[in-house]
Amino acid sequence: MTDFYAWTAALSERGTLPEVFRYAFFVRGLLAVLLLAPLLGGISHLVVARRMSFFSAALGHAALTGLTIGLLLGEPLNGAYGGIFGFCSLAALAMVYIKRHSALPSDTLIGVFLSVTLGLGICLLVAVTKRFNIHQVEAVMFGSLLTVTDTDLLLLLVLGLTLVTVLAVIYNALLLDSLDHTTGRAAGVRSEFIDYLFVMLLTAAIIVSIKIIGALLIEAMVVVPAAAARNLARTTRSYLALSIVAALAAGIGGLFLSTRFLVPTGGAVVLVLSSLFFVTLVGGWMRSLIAK
Amino acid sequence: MQDPPVLEIRNLTLLRGNRVILAAAALEVAPRGIHVLVGPNGCGKSTLLAAVLGMAEFTGSIRLHWRAGGRIGYVPQFFGVDRTLPVTVAEFLALTRQRRPVCFGVGRARRAALDELLARVGMEGFLRRPLGALSGGELQRVLLANAIDPLPELLLLDEPASGLDESATRSFEELLLEISSRDGAAVLMVSHDLAQVRRLADEVTLIHRGGVRSGPPARIISGDLAESLALGADYPAS
Repeated sequence: MTDFYAWTAALSERGTLPEVFRYAFFVRGLLAVLLLAPLLGGISHLVVARRMSFFSAALGHAALTGLTIGLLLGEPLNGAYGGIFGFCSLAALAMVYIKRHSALPSDTLIGVFLSVTLGLGICLLVAVTKRFNIHQVEAVMFGSLLTVTDTDLLLLLVLGLTLVTVLAVIYNALLLDSLDHTTGRAAGVRSEFIDYLFVMLLTAAIIVSIKIIGALLIEAMVVVPAAAARNLARTTRSYLALSIVAALAAGIGGLFLSTRFLVPTGGAVVLVLSSLFFVTLVGGWMRSLIAK
Repeated sequence: MQDPPVLEIRNLTLLRGNRVILAAAALEVAPRGIHVLVGPNGCGKSTLLAAVLGMAEFTGSIRLHWRAGGRIGYVPQFFGVDRTLPVTVAEFLALTRQRRPVCFGVGRARRAALDELLARVGMEGFLRRPLGALSGGELQRVLLANAIDPLPELLLLDEPASGLDESATRSFEELLLEISSRDGAAVLMVSHDLAQVRRLADEVTLIHRGGVRSGPPARIISGDLAESLALGADYPAS
């Protein structure tokens, strides 16, 4: 990768690419965004179709707690994947299990989990800040380009390809189950298996995205691209395509904003994404008015 | 010799929470037969269908005696689709008919086959329509099209004609008789329309106060029952 970074830096010096391409961390961040956007944009339209937006928020908060657990157990700040994956998986599976075996409305249940994980995370954060600089922890909470490594990119590539492959295989069953469990069941869809598998895929997608977007803002990336796309899409195909385009535009736009104004990457990405949502919302209204 | 039943239910008990809603129920659905479940709201008709689909807990036995592929077709009473979700009729029908993820599109040949399928329920030309833009009756016909292709051995229908106008109801009944008598499917249907039950049913099961009473429509749907239903009152004791 060193040669690649040297090449982009050379192109930048020649004026072919913007000045910011001189920095390897920016190029790494851009590559991460280019890998992340199709993954999160793609998964986003399924999250919204399955009405799991709030669930994703709870997983984002669980990631923060998982991070603090990982750090307390001795994982490096730059790679606390074990803690995040372990705790998020546990929280996700527990939420699905209790949701399927309880009469409680799922938003109530998720609210309970969100409170528990956040409360635990904040308590553990106090212990973590005794060992790490709070600014280092903030980078993981809100996302930072500086923390992305070549190993992260490799992980993102491998995991991203795996997730996309699995999602492509189960896509039709997943969407049918999202539309109506019973109709899906009659068609042979194993609703319970699909439910658990999807939350594990979502957990994995969230974990690989945390360094760029941040634990506290990741929920936005798995909800808002689809919300923005839904304002304009008329078919599943355009829904997926527009979700990915929204995620890509927000990722790249946020990255440039973050570098230009020295604000956390996650925050900048989410701001661009939210702007896209409101633009598409108005676009959708205008289209409806014209159609009338 | 008479064909063995496709669906055989013995000693079935269904619970809703801790309350027994149906106890020691038994019924059979024969191939080429239309078996209709009738009873007041909340008596467990839809839950019984859900139990057959493996979506509701029960004690007792539910046995399916498949002769061929063992496919179940199902039309729900309520289809919980989010009406703002951008899924077209073609994409919905393709979900169970193509391996390629529908987000990558539905092929031209597949579209032609789906339009033919929709024509069977009087919905040709609706492929590009979003599911959320369909009326209740149109959605019900799309769900029926989805349930009858490929031909199921057992067709479960939960008040399938509830959103249909008179003309669509007649077409639906003709289609149902065709699928059952000509193609050999076994049909288990929930209905509140007693006139329709008399026109279609070979066998009727009345679910009432946790028990069941089965037999030919003329015997089960008595004048008293018809009157009770018309008044929205309780059913006569079995």
